[in-house]
Amino acid sequence: MSLLAPIICDNGTGYSKIGFAGNSDPSFFLQCLPNCNCYSGTCFTVISGPPVPSKPGQIASKRGVEDLDFFIGDEALANAKTPGFGLNYPIRHGMIDNWDHMERYWEQTIFKYLRAEPEDHYFLLVRPQSPVIVEAPLTQSLQTEPPLNPPENREQTAEIFFESFNIKGLYIAVQAVLALAASWSSNRVTDRTLTGTVIDSGDGVTHVIPCAEGYVIGSAIKHIPIAGRDITQFVLNLMRERGETTAIPPEDQLRVAGKVKENYSYVCQDIVKEFRRFDAEPYKFFERFEGEHSVTGRKYNVDVGYERFLAPEIFFNPEIYSSDFLTPLPQIVDDVIQQSPIDVRRGLYKNIVLSGGSTMFQHFGNRLKRDLKQLVDRRLDASALASGSALKSSGVEVDVISHKRQRYAVWFGGSLLASLPEFYTSCHTKAQYDEIGPSICRRYQIFGSAT
Amino acid sequence: MILLEPHNVIIQTTLGEKIIKPSSLDVAFVDYDGVRFHLSTPQSKTLLLLSMHIRCWDELVKYGALEILQREYGSLLQPQAEPEYNVSLVIDLEQIPASPEDRSAFILSIALFKRNALAAPFELAFKNQKALESSGSGQGELMEIHYRDEEAIYVQASHDRVTVIFSTIFADETDRIFGKVFLQEFVDARRQPAIQNAPQVLYSNRDPPLEIRHLANLRNTEDTGYVTFVLFPRHFTPANAPGTISHIQLFRDYLHYHIKCSKAYMHSRMRHRVAEFQKVLNRAKQEVATTERKTVTGRTMSTR
Repeated sequence: MSLLAPIICDNGTGYSKIGFAGNSDPSFFLQCLPNCNCYSGTCFTVISGPPVPSKPGQIASKRGVEDLDFFIGDEALANAKTPGFGLNYPIRHGMIDNWDHMERYWEQTIFKYLRAEPEDHYFLLVRPQSPVIVEAPLTQSLQTEPPLNPPENREQTAEIFFESFNIKGLYIAVQAVLALAASWSSNRVTDRTLTGTVIDSGDGVTHVIPCAEGYVIGSAIKHIPIAGRDITQFVLNLMRERGETTAIPPEDQLRVAGKVKENYSYVCQDIVKEFRRFDAEPYKFFERFEGEHSVTGRKYNVDVGYERFLAPEIFFNPEIYSSDFLTPLPQIVDDVIQQSPIDVRRGLYKNIVLSGGSTMFQHFGNRLKRDLKQLVDRRLDASALASGSALKSSGVEVDVISHKRQRYAVWFGGSLLASLPEFYTSCHTKAQYDEIGPSICRRYQIFGSAT
Repeated sequence: MILLEPHNVIIQTTLGEKIIKPSSLDVAFVDYDGVRFHLSTPQSKTLLLLSMHIRCWDELVKYGALEILQREYGSLLQPQAEPEYNVSLVIDLEQIPASPEDRSAFILSIALFKRNALAAPFELAFKNQKALESSGSGQGELMEIHYRDEEAIYVQASHDRVTVIFSTIFADETDRIFGKVFLQEFVDARRQPAIQNAPQVLYSNRDPPLEIRHLANLRNTEDTGYVTFVLFPRHFTPANAPGTISHIQLFRDYLHYHIKCSKAYMHSRMRHRVAEFQKVLNRAKQEVATTERKTVTGRTMSTR
């Protein structure tokens, strides 16, 4: 039988993105219709069903199939109200929390949604880079590095996939590396390198992850507590202050703010000039958002003004939104690269890759590139001055790559890598697993880069 | 989810989306038994081309798959299939039924593409049985469908029944044991009064049933098993036949799905047990009496 396309599984805290290698988009975004907006709490990798019984009871007399009576994704949300059913979130903060539920979750993804015989397929799973510790106690803030996803976790995953599902082969990939691979689809990328800085901004947290030749420099990773959810909240605050929200029913306000963010926002190059342009010609720049009450169907419309360019501005001037976190994103990126080993820094500056929905704003890449370039040039000038203008650097190339597949960059990178012929030789196969055991997952092999 | 659904979910959801909002598309995906699909828009955004590659296509054509597809899809069926695939449909998004019920029925019929193709030998066997019934004796042709590399379905009509035989191979040792238990359970479960009307199921390990014993290409190793279903006319009355075909096609996948689910169930029981034992062990832990240790000068030592 000719080899069937490998299956790419990216199980995230929010969405699971699942599909076949070689495609440009995942076949399923479980739990969310592509068009619906989901906010914290409503949209998770969910499974709903009666709890796993603690005691089997009289096993001989009971030949039931209660353990198959559950739903995942959207159907889970729809059935959450059924008596006896409850919502469970098997993944928390990027780590698998409940293996029983996760195993059943995979069971149903493979058999019901993908309709694939797991024995015929290779799998590429995405391992989250690092779980984000939300409530980090202040006393530990000096050792800021959160633990990486422990290898035991990977071993358990391999156990499930090889022993329950008998899959042909498994490759556990690192999120950041896949995001780098996804950038190869951009026509500005000339060499397929796995060295670069990944800025991954989703709904909850933004990560800045440096990667050297396919390996993550764990000690230099930084997290920023500003991401999609905060932008939406900020848009809502701005609209509230202007009094636009009176027209919107209260339960729809967050959704409308999310729509405004997605459809009208862009990154400006100069905030003062932008304000002036808006004030000079408000009719040209102000947009109107038309909505419909979700229950009564009453139409309403609101003006969309300065929030168009102010919303993504919180990455570059966080002080306009939060008083706790004040470092702008370009500064963080610079810090991350400066903390990395000196011999990869040029590569890291040259290849800054965006991934995740919150980096999709127009001109986001240009602005980041400009600000970062300024920081770097200023430092170079200062060092030239300090050396008495005797030594002058040849300059550092800074480039930010944005591409079309940013939203599902991680999944797409997986799809790209898994369609390379080297993928099959880099996988852990069933035979290797049987020979060595789950510990093979501690070995991690990179492939696909041209260098 | 106890039964597997006969339709392909990816086709169903993608078509549903594209009808609302046509856009260019190029996706490849699979279905059970190594069936490959390719859904693309080669010419315009509203003209979807759905192609299917199925391993046993030549055999299916021999048993009349083309007529069935023609009956189901009519003009959608393309005379020339896309290269590398066996059969293609073209769906024009501008010419689909308007009412929501018709529309979802149409989408469902497209999603049943694989099921309809694979239905051919069964429909032929049911027809043959009707023909033989009048003559009162005799047997129809033994149809072989090699739908997987090493596994096949054999369908044979005789004057009073249709016999369907699956050869199964379990790649994994554990699966084989689970499979054996399951298949024996099938045989036993029929004694329950509630499912007396179900088709008779026979299971044999290693030895092929008499109907196919004369075939040359059988592989009789320890990991081979044969499951025989005996369908009587009451199972394929015009009202029952479509359901019977859908279910019996998915038998192998159903079996493997349940083997995997029972393994998952066993794992969850094991995890639970380990957690319980760990609690017991933790209870048995002795509390260590902490004595303060001091240096000569009276300073306490502390671990750093």
